[in-house]
Amino acid sequence: MSSLATSESAEQAPSLPGRSSRNPSQTNQPGKSPTSTAQSSPRRSRDNLNGWGFAAPFLAFFLVFLVWPLLYGLYMSLTGKSLTGANDSLIGLANYAEALADADMWHSLGNTLYFTVISTVPLVLVALVMAALVNVGLPAQWLWRLSYFAPYLLASTVVSLFFSWMYNPQLGLINDSLAKIGLPKVAWLNDPNVAMWAIVIATLWWTVGFNFLLYLAAMQNIPAQHYEAASLDGAGAWRQFFSITLPQLTPTTVMIVLLQILASLKIFDQVYQMTAGGPSGSTRPVVEYIFETGFTGYRLGYSAAISYIFFGLIVAVSVMQFFITRRRSA
Amino acid sequence: MKQFDFFAGKQMSGKQVSRRQLLAGTAALGSVFAAAGLTGCGGTASAASVRDIAFWHLLSGGDGIKMQAMISAANGANPGFKVHPTVLAWGPPYYTKLAMASAGGRPPELAIMHASRVPGYAPGGLIDPWDMSLLAEHGVTAESFAPRIWDKSQHDGQVFSIALDSHPFVMFYNTDVAGKAGVLGANGQLQEASSPQDFLAMAREMQKVTQAHGLSFGYLGSGSQMWRLFYTLYKQHGADMELTPGQPMKADRDAAVESLEFMASLFDDTVAAKSGDIGTGIAEFARGGSGMLFSGVWELPTFKKAELPVDAATIPTLYGTPASYADSHSFVLPRQLNVDDGKRRDVYKFVSDILKGSLSWAEAGHIPAYQPIVQSQAYRDLTPQIHYANAADIIAYDPEAWFSGSGSDWQTYFAENVQNVLLGRDKAADGWDAFVRRTNTLLSRPNPV
Amino acid sequence: MATQTLTRPALSSTSAAKLRQPRKKMTAGRAAVLAVAAILAVLWLVPFAWATATAFKSEADAAAPKISWIPPSGFTADAFVKVFQDGNIPLWTWNSLYTSAAITVITLAISALVAYALSRIDFRGKKVLMTVIIASIMIPPPVLIIPLFYQMVALHMIDTSWAIILPQVIHPAMVFVLKKFFDQIPRELEEAAVMDGASRMRIFTQIILPLSRPILAAVAIFVFISAWNNFLWPFISTNDGSILTLPVGLQTIKSAYGIQYAQNMASALLAALPLILVFLFFQRQIIKGVATTGLAGT
Repeated sequence: MSSLATSESAEQAPSLPGRSSRNPSQTNQPGKSPTSTAQSSPRRSRDNLNGWGFAAPFLAFFLVFLVWPLLYGLYMSLTGKSLTGANDSLIGLANYAEALADADMWHSLGNTLYFTVISTVPLVLVALVMAALVNVGLPAQWLWRLSYFAPYLLASTVVSLFFSWMYNPQLGLINDSLAKIGLPKVAWLNDPNVAMWAIVIATLWWTVGFNFLLYLAAMQNIPAQHYEAASLDGAGAWRQFFSITLPQLTPTTVMIVLLQILASLKIFDQVYQMTAGGPSGSTRPVVEYIFETGFTGYRLGYSAAISYIFFGLIVAVSVMQFFITRRRSA
Repeated sequence: MKQFDFFAGKQMSGKQVSRRQLLAGTAALGSVFAAAGLTGCGGTASAASVRDIAFWHLLSGGDGIKMQAMISAANGANPGFKVHPTVLAWGPPYYTKLAMASAGGRPPELAIMHASRVPGYAPGGLIDPWDMSLLAEHGVTAESFAPRIWDKSQHDGQVFSIALDSHPFVMFYNTDVAGKAGVLGANGQLQEASSPQDFLAMAREMQKVTQAHGLSFGYLGSGSQMWRLFYTLYKQHGADMELTPGQPMKADRDAAVESLEFMASLFDDTVAAKSGDIGTGIAEFARGGSGMLFSGVWELPTFKKAELPVDAATIPTLYGTPASYADSHSFVLPRQLNVDDGKRRDVYKFVSDILKGSLSWAEAGHIPAYQPIVQSQAYRDLTPQIHYANAADIIAYDPEAWFSGSGSDWQTYFAENVQNVLLGRDKAADGWDAFVRRTNTLLSRPNPV
Repeated sequence: MATQTLTRPALSSTSAAKLRQPRKKMTAGRAAVLAVAAILAVLWLVPFAWATATAFKSEADAAAPKISWIPPSGFTADAFVKVFQDGNIPLWTWNSLYTSAAITVITLAISALVAYALSRIDFRGKKVLMTVIIASIMIPPPVLIIPLFYQMVALHMIDTSWAIILPQVIHPAMVFVLKKFFDQIPRELEEAAVMDGASRMRIFTQIILPLSRPILAAVAIFVFISAWNNFLWPFISTNDGSILTLPVGLQTIKSAYGIQYAQNMASALLAALPLILVFLFFQRQIIKGVATTGLAGT
């Protein structure tokens, strides 16, 4: 194949490669293997070389740092592999059997799902409200975008430091403000019934700006004619929002909801940093459980099995989403 | 981008060339990475000939400040190296990271580890044994340590940890309150209580003085804290506890249940507050709201700072056998891919310097492990430290297993099963049996070490 | 589908005009909108403001039980001085900067190359490759931490910059974004070059890439921000204080400083500063970049 590619090196008059492949004069050239032209054209095989050549660098990383760990993780989940290197042997599906009977794993999976549900709703709704407000054409557009979007540029650790401080039961700004308006103090990160909501509030503050931007971009792409026509019909701002803006945003909303669900399922950073999964496991998400069984508990094989159960959940959600979106767009 | 010209049809004159150019392209790509790596090293490389020693520990608060002073002193005395401490959060965050770093092969040259955690690290090869002949050059030998502490540093005939201290769980008491309650002995120290009834009676006397509680012991949410008191009382029964992977836990159920029942009986809002976390208990004792406090020795500086009339003793022997839960901050050598012999020697020097300077560590409440310090007049003059120095001979470390020890998940499981017993919501026997079941699950799982 | 809709604003020059809405008169409705927007903006700025106020207090004032915005003993920059003196913030900032830059450069290079092949070159197995890449968007990084850690141990890369950089350069979604963009570049632009016998690589570097600046910038911005702020993987793959990135290093500060609130907030603000500054200067590009690449998945 590669010898065919070299045929291009022949000094030829400029011509489209596609045509040159059909050029009968080529077969007259010396040093050319006559059989090679039989199967595919030089253009075709050069395309193969070029195509895979262009793909090669990405593919190399892709294979080494994505495909390989993905497969190797699957293998690990069938072994008793440990952080210390002990127990390398294959143990079949024992890890999966253990995981399915592990109450802590189910609890952490439940926490992850709970967080996903109670975070996705405000993260989409507040973003929509923000975008709608800004889209009305308020003065000083940059100011609104800066305020709503800036937190998204922070690392999770910064957000956690900010909110751990504001949630401080005695010295925190939030409890102090609550006290000032006569409300009782809340043990934000120390009360098992409240801690997850505290995480949701911090997450809302942190990442809503991203959804806000996506909504804003989508709103500003709605052709002005739609609104002009409605205005002529005497439709007010509210009616325009519900009869034009919202319907036009439907594909965007679907995508934002889907992305948000997938992002929320991966929750780890804020929880690990603010509560470390506590109090008494009430906020521990499954990713933290993977981390803890694998690294704190040394049991890499077992935590690989939990990783794959979690992966299965994500795939299930993605497939579900795929069918929902397909039905919508159909 | 130019190196990718190998795709250019015009330049390709033969199969060999194209392959060579492909290699060249790959090499060029590699050199881009290499450059990135070089800049990475730039930030860390040190210019001078002073060797940088990375040292991890988990000591915060007063302990952390003391440790920092000891490190600075050692650095000052040794111009050849500089020890850089990294402080990580006590408990799982620290031990997780230490294990990950050791598995990765570039851990710090030196780290602090609770002696009770060594069984989770040594057999798996995460830490290296100490070369006692190298330590002997600096005058540190087996004889430098009390027998119980020295035994604890061994694993399979090798020395895996060099203890800096032992820090038992003790009883602080307020001498003012005790005096008014009439429970001080002729020597000005608290009278011996030798049975649970004795102790409860004494606590009630003190409660009459404070009008709040006789004893402070905060435990809510802290498995470590509950375990410290429980294990002290349990060991006072003369009972043992064995954790062998693949076998059920061996323990004295009666002793355990009796210990838990006694603990639960403390929290009646007269002897001690019904519930509260560690901080609440310490604060109550520090402001004179109680006469006694069960606590780790490391809280001593808090009370000195509060100018409380405080003395201390080992926890009274209520069940016949003197015993005191304790652990030791010990030095370990995390396993490294490439051991720098120069740095290893520096580490030995550093550790021996810290041991010899551990009188200041004693000021923070800990009992130094290094015997020449303990036998020195300067240490004997430290009160109340000297009043619990006998603890070193009766200390009980956690039963050994890969999952046990200070700040381990096992202590968290203890809290999960026992907290409701202490709050009076569960029967002691039920709580204990649940904990045994949880432990047996761990023992039945493959041993990852 | 999603990417198509969103590459549009970056592509078309008319979208800028659309962004500008006609000025309207101030009515009661608009005043209400302004009020709500302002309340939200204040709520969103409070954490910054409170962190800033705390960072400029003395530790004693910061921990005082009576909470006030203006400290009794006046503002001070002590906490910042302290953080700079014994902290690793400058080192960690540098670590974050060069690892994120390396990740961005490598990601751009390898993604653009493969995206070009997928967009323009007819090679055997292309469909399969495309399917595999798109399918891989679904793989959540947390699923890979265990095997990747093990792999890095085997490669002796734990606690090196390599461990941080190499696994982070695979952004299948960005390949997809770039391919979509390349698809929209008219093929006629290449024809002349092809006539001249130019190689694929020359066409790619001299025709396609210059035309793709906006999308390359958008992808670069997105990749850089996610690398800069990534916590999980750098946290797993590095432990040593001298190699940590800013977000991971910051996590260790909490335990080292304990209850020193002013220093905690000063550190957090210093860590937040670089990207916020960049954002102030390149607001337009960043917003456009995020909006363009955002829906492709993170």
